[in-house]
Amino acid sequence: MAYLLTSLKRLLERIRRSKPEAASFPGIFEQFQTLLQDHQQVMELIADLGEKSGGEYIFDRTYLIDTIKIMHTVLLRMVNSLNHIASNRYLELYTTLDRIFQPLEAELRGRLLLSDEMALVVDLQDLPLDHPELTGGKANALGRVLQSLKLPAPPGFVITTRAYRRFLESNQLEERIHAWLESWASGKLDIGQTSRQIQYSILAGLVSREVAGEIRRRTAKEGVYWAVRSSAYGEDGELSFAGLHETRLHVPPTKIISAYKEVLASLFSPGALSYRQKMGLLGEEAAMAVLCQETIVSRAAGVIQTLDLSCPGANHLVIYSSFGWGRSVAEGRATVDRFVLEKDHSNHILVREIAAKRFMVGPKPGGGEEEVPVPQEEQRHPSLSDEAIKTLVKWALHLERYFKRPQEIEWAQDESGALWLLQSRFMNISKTAMPPQEDIALVASRYQVILRDQGAVAHAGVGSGPVYQVDSEAKLSRFPEGAVLVIKYTAPWLTPVVPKAAAIIAERGSAAGHLATIAREFRVPTLVGVEGACERLPAGIKITVDTKQRMVYAGRVKELLHYELVKTPAFEETHEFRQLRRLLKRIAPLHIIDPQAVDFTPQGCESVHDVVRFIHEKAVNEVIDLPRLLKRFKGVKIFSLISDVPLDLKILDLGGGITSPQKGDRVLPEGIQSLPLKALWEGVSAPGVWSTEPVSVDFKGMMSSLTQTRAETPGASAYMGFNLAVISEFYLNLHLRLGYHLNLVDARMHPEPQHNHIYFRFVGGVTDMTRRSRRAQLLANILSKFHFKVDVKGDLVVARVLHLPQEEMQARLIVLGRLIGFTRQLDIQLKSDADIPQFMESFFQPDSQTRETPLA
Amino acid sequence: MSTKLKIMVLDDEPIVCKRLQPALEKLGYEVETFTQSLEALHEIQEKTYDIIITDLKMKGIDGMRFLQEAKKQHPATEVIVITGFATLETAKESFQKGVFDFIAKPFKLSEIQEVVTRATAKIQGAKA
Repeated sequence: MAYLLTSLKRLLERIRRSKPEAASFPGIFEQFQTLLQDHQQVMELIADLGEKSGGEYIFDRTYLIDTIKIMHTVLLRMVNSLNHIASNRYLELYTTLDRIFQPLEAELRGRLLLSDEMALVVDLQDLPLDHPELTGGKANALGRVLQSLKLPAPPGFVITTRAYRRFLESNQLEERIHAWLESWASGKLDIGQTSRQIQYSILAGLVSREVAGEIRRRTAKEGVYWAVRSSAYGEDGELSFAGLHETRLHVPPTKIISAYKEVLASLFSPGALSYRQKMGLLGEEAAMAVLCQETIVSRAAGVIQTLDLSCPGANHLVIYSSFGWGRSVAEGRATVDRFVLEKDHSNHILVREIAAKRFMVGPKPGGGEEEVPVPQEEQRHPSLSDEAIKTLVKWALHLERYFKRPQEIEWAQDESGALWLLQSRFMNISKTAMPPQEDIALVASRYQVILRDQGAVAHAGVGSGPVYQVDSEAKLSRFPEGAVLVIKYTAPWLTPVVPKAAAIIAERGSAAGHLATIAREFRVPTLVGVEGACERLPAGIKITVDTKQRMVYAGRVKELLHYELVKTPAFEETHEFRQLRRLLKRIAPLHIIDPQAVDFTPQGCESVHDVVRFIHEKAVNEVIDLPRLLKRFKGVKIFSLISDVPLDLKILDLGGGITSPQKGDRVLPEGIQSLPLKALWEGVSAPGVWSTEPVSVDFKGMMSSLTQTRAETPGASAYMGFNLAVISEFYLNLHLRLGYHLNLVDARMHPEPQHNHIYFRFVGGVTDMTRRSRRAQLLANILSKFHFKVDVKGDLVVARVLHLPQEEMQARLIVLGRLIGFTRQLDIQLKSDADIPQFMESFFQPDSQTRETPLA
Repeated sequence: MSTKLKIMVLDDEPIVCKRLQPALEKLGYEVETFTQSLEALHEIQEKTYDIIITDLKMKGIDGMRFLQEAKKQHPATEVIVITGFATLETAKESFQKGVFDFIAKPFKLSEIQEVVTRATAKIQGAKA
């Protein structure tokens, strides 16, 4: 990347030397075109990266490095273009680019992990989920349980591997540990001596003031005891360190620091050392994060295994349960209750073994744990009710669906009866334990195929369940856990059911759209663009969806589900995917939405997307700043649209947007060739939309409109009185000032759906803020019905829709055209919130709007 | 299942092997993967594969040399080249060396599955 920095410096110098006002029209015109193309290219690269995180593609590190490199180059060009158009008023953007790209490049070189950016101690609620190296496997899984799956886990925090490194450094332990390990390897020390030496020096070490302070701050609560558990990196991952590292239960706050050191020291217990030696890991650096959670004083606790090891081929899960704390269950020290259940949707209890539970483990007064006898008369009571079993099974299946591996789950039930999830880890299944499986290709071929090779993969995986179709928000709330969601459109309001779905099939939408992103977040196998899915997959039928092969089978293909669960590594857990997700977090989110907001500046940009958005907005503003544009660009052909609709619209054609202008610079609506403008105009000029009758203004609205000057409306002074459309055959950028509010439409209607977008922004108005917000709400309601993703902030509405085919983009632009007419003076008419539904109705009512709404 | 076709996957980035293996096994192939070209070279001295999927740009013996060697040893083996965009031109050259097809990385699972299916049809046609 060094060459980029030098070329950047050279560019900066060149720009500084150049005279600010020298840009000529052809130059600017060319730059603007290039900028629009570059904008498109970066947006496509972002979408590409997003798509790659869905698991359908095989990519490698080289791809990531190349993509970031290209992105950087194109963005540099965009910054150059903007500065060319805007007479070097945005030179700060070069610093912004450095700020955003340096961490991306550091990430690709693998140098970000131990940087100061990473926390020493972090709450489970805020755990960075794509950094298991920082928090260890156990804590990472719990972070996901809490943040993504929203299951109840006791609150707590993680002392990260960075804190561990800090501990080694400040106590000068690194080299000493290394030396002891060397002595062991060469036979000078035996394993016991090695372990004792290292553990002793760790226990004698001092925890830095900063880390200790962070721990104390979090454990200051009166009367709370803590569980202090190991969360080594690699533990609970592909290798099982189960039971090798320490866990301290019921630790009082004053003893957490010493418990922390004990857990660190367990990284070098004789057992852990010999295990690492056996696995060939001694040469690699071990790192220990430590998880601290509030203690749950449990009446019962135990373990769930989502695969029955005594019968691995069967579709069963097993719950082990006992009174008191779970340690006796986990360590197999006591006789426990055992329940075996069907994993299909019946969750039928097949086996119910109630043991005589003579002892239980519980809290020792003052800290620690102890064994106490169970009263004779209670020993043969079941430790778990059927209702609690039901909840646990639901959680277990959700966890297995998400982690895509058989899970071993520790749970507890407190005195009030509430259930808690303590941890979930992959089950370690030895290959010999599994019955030899029939050839999977052969088995799958025996099932009936309903759909084959259709649609695009938004997230790869296999899921099974009954079909549930959602076409209204009412149906949304009744969505059953583990069903397959089948829909026409991937509308953003579907988001709440995504985590519950076993799989998703949508007729429309793209692998780079909003729902696809959410599906990836929750790892739900998703296919989009499956023509006729709603008809071919009627509600209630059981299906199995394999998005890796783009196959939908009738029924539950249990062999395939089993194969995926046990044989196929989850791609989500690979290093490359994690890295891609970390990169995406710095690239894809859009933080700056409102151009009038104070943080709409180069300094406010946090992601690549923000920078692209900022540049695009500013470049378009430069070009639509008509008075200045006209002065600067003498001889530029600007057309005037002649129409019955009294809108003074000027058109700048970038090519292919207009045919046969009438009399010089006048053009009739029939002359518009630009597809998006044509569609929008169809809506604007539809009969009944453009009511020219004056709207009756009530007293309050009137007073408000009288006292407000135009300059109060954001951006009013710059292009007052001018409406401009910048167009080409497939593109439209329209700034429309109607009365006191401003509409912005940026749209592309390409034959290839993935190039298409509509971006609509609506702001301002004549009345007070309450009424304007009311109108914003109304607009948001209407636009949501047409599957726009809508953000409302005060009186600002930002709506976006992506990647739909041309004809669907057209239908939505017609709606936007109608809306622009419809809402012209709505804020005056919307006197109370109660008026909103009535206006909604009048918009969707075909009678009042002679033209029928095509999509409602 | 001795009728299963044998596929070798060679790529020095382990992620490619890790993901291709189950995807191809699911289609009914027997799959072995290698990240070291030298090791793969030793392997083909002793064992015949029906299909070899190899990267072009690798440390040690590069893909072009490897596939020449593989073709020399077993002319009936079909070779599919997977390569980064930057080496696409070189990949085209590999056609002259009797390569069945090439695919640019990153690629969709369905793309490689389709090429493998075509190669299989060719192999079975030749056997029939």
